[in-house]
Amino acid sequence: MFPYSTMLQPIFWMVIGLLTGVFVIGLRYWLKDLNISMNWWKWVLLSFWIVLLAVTLCGSFTLMGENEWTAGYRFLLFFGTVITISGAGLWMILRRVNP
Amino acid sequence: MDRRNFLKYSGLASGTLALAGISSAGFVAGRNKDGNTGFGRTPYGKDQFFNRKPFLVEQPTYMKVGTPERIGYLDHLFRRNAELRYHIFSYGREGFQKVRDEGPEKLPEPLKSYYIDNPSAFEEFFRAMDRANEQKANWEKYKDRYMLAEAWSAAHASPLGAPGAFPREPRGNPEESDFSGVNEDSLKLKSPQHGSRLIKKISHLFGATLTGITKIKKEWVYQGALRGRGRGDFEVPGHWKYAIVIAIPHEWESFYANPTYGTSHDAYSMLRFISGKLETFIKKIGYSARSHIPPTSYDLILPPLGIDAGLGEQGRHGILITPELGANTRLAAVSTDMPLEPDKPVDLGIRKFCNKCKICAEECPGKAISFAGSPYKTVRGYKRWSIDQDKCYTVWNSVATSQPRGCRICLAVCPYSRKNNWIHTIAREADPRDPTGLVSSAMLSMQKNFFSYPGGKEYLPPPEGNNKTYGKPPDWLRTEEWFDI
Repeated sequence: MFPYSTMLQPIFWMVIGLLTGVFVIGLRYWLKDLNISMNWWKWVLLSFWIVLLAVTLCGSFTLMGENEWTAGYRFLLFFGTVITISGAGLWMILRRVNP
Repeated sequence: MDRRNFLKYSGLASGTLALAGISSAGFVAGRNKDGNTGFGRTPYGKDQFFNRKPFLVEQPTYMKVGTPERIGYLDHLFRRNAELRYHIFSYGREGFQKVRDEGPEKLPEPLKSYYIDNPSAFEEFFRAMDRANEQKANWEKYKDRYMLAEAWSAAHASPLGAPGAFPREPRGNPEESDFSGVNEDSLKLKSPQHGSRLIKKISHLFGATLTGITKIKKEWVYQGALRGRGRGDFEVPGHWKYAIVIAIPHEWESFYANPTYGTSHDAYSMLRFISGKLETFIKKIGYSARSHIPPTSYDLILPPLGIDAGLGEQGRHGILITPELGANTRLAAVSTDMPLEPDKPVDLGIRKFCNKCKICAEECPGKAISFAGSPYKTVRGYKRWSIDQDKCYTVWNSVATSQPRGCRICLAVCPYSRKNNWIHTIAREADPRDPTGLVSSAMLSMQKNFFSYPGGKEYLPPPEGNNKTYGKPPDWLRTEEWFDI
């Protein structure tokens, strides 16, 4: 089943890797244009938040795929709220703390 | 648009697409049938298996609190009910009311002693029979809707118990039947380790999902009746040295749609063929063998053997829970004198999790599962979880099926009975490694707050319930998808 079929699985994840690479390049320009200076720990925090966002979406859709639709929605609602609040906090840190 | 803006907006679009891709990959991970461990999966599917090595222990997690005793054959619900039915039928048509009115005092031994000691079991039997009559009458209403489920179950039941069914029931003393057909020109086995490795490989190739090996403790052998020989006490035969315990799941999609769409017979018929072939294989390499197969063709109690063999731990619902299959673990065994290296038991924290969870007890339509905070009952020398078998059987006779063919709700709702995909693998791997219990508390909190459960009586037909199933039935069991109703 796509994207887990023998042929398409490696292609799928290569495409995801490529998209992520383009995203990181674009993100650097966005941050520069928004006058946000970055250092190593800011990148770690931001990366961690992006991974959390991806895991939340992926987890929610995994549950929906299992026909646990209610669990999927509640998972998305709960962790989505956590992600949104932590995202707002992270944004403030990124803007206000200048290394 | 200049180069800078192009890269900025391409990055934004790529990030959005990547998240959408990961979300769809997650959806497919949930939907993918490859996440269904065991049933139909190749024996080479190594990704299905849990690494037990870090969790091996010397003593099993069940609690020995007294002198172990062997289980009497009347402690087995089916044998007890069969014996009582036989007695009732001996009086003809009036037998049912006559035996009910007379109470346990007028029963022949050993039924009399059993039911005097367990009066609620006697009352519950007749309650179950009343429900069985309602079930039969109700079936006319439901037979179209559940036609495919009935056919699915009947197909799997067809190889069970028929005359000449494979493997053949033992005849005569175990010293004769278990050695019948044994190759007398066998070769010397290199070592018990070689024996165990070979048997596990062969058993997987025959279709077993999990295989464990343990020495047979005498308290795991039934007393009072022996297949092939009939009634009467017996000493545990000396050649019943080891049990090769095999486990497979029910077909997963129908399993989640219990109680009305699932069946026990899918796993039972597969277990019958796997253990029968294993019995023949062992005999052909020179050792005695006897299959012990559900629903009734066994002389051994299988769940404690599975615990001793390191497959898992006992759950609140009395069923063996394994990390790969959860409570969707059905067992059979082959007893043998082949020199084998036994496996060690495991402590995966399952018993501790069950102390907290109680979902199966909340969902049981018959209130047959205890809500106690920890294993509370001493049964034949062991403190353990113990369900009320008779109340459970009343539910079998109440759900919208043509005949009492089980409920299995406690198995389906168990948080361990989940697919083999990334999200459940994280839970499965993290919980037993966490000594604080925080992971299991967090998992349980999510399980109870995110997942929805119909609730006890809802699984029963109207007026008590609404014939709810835990999960959505698969299209291939929904009659209305294929036939005009």
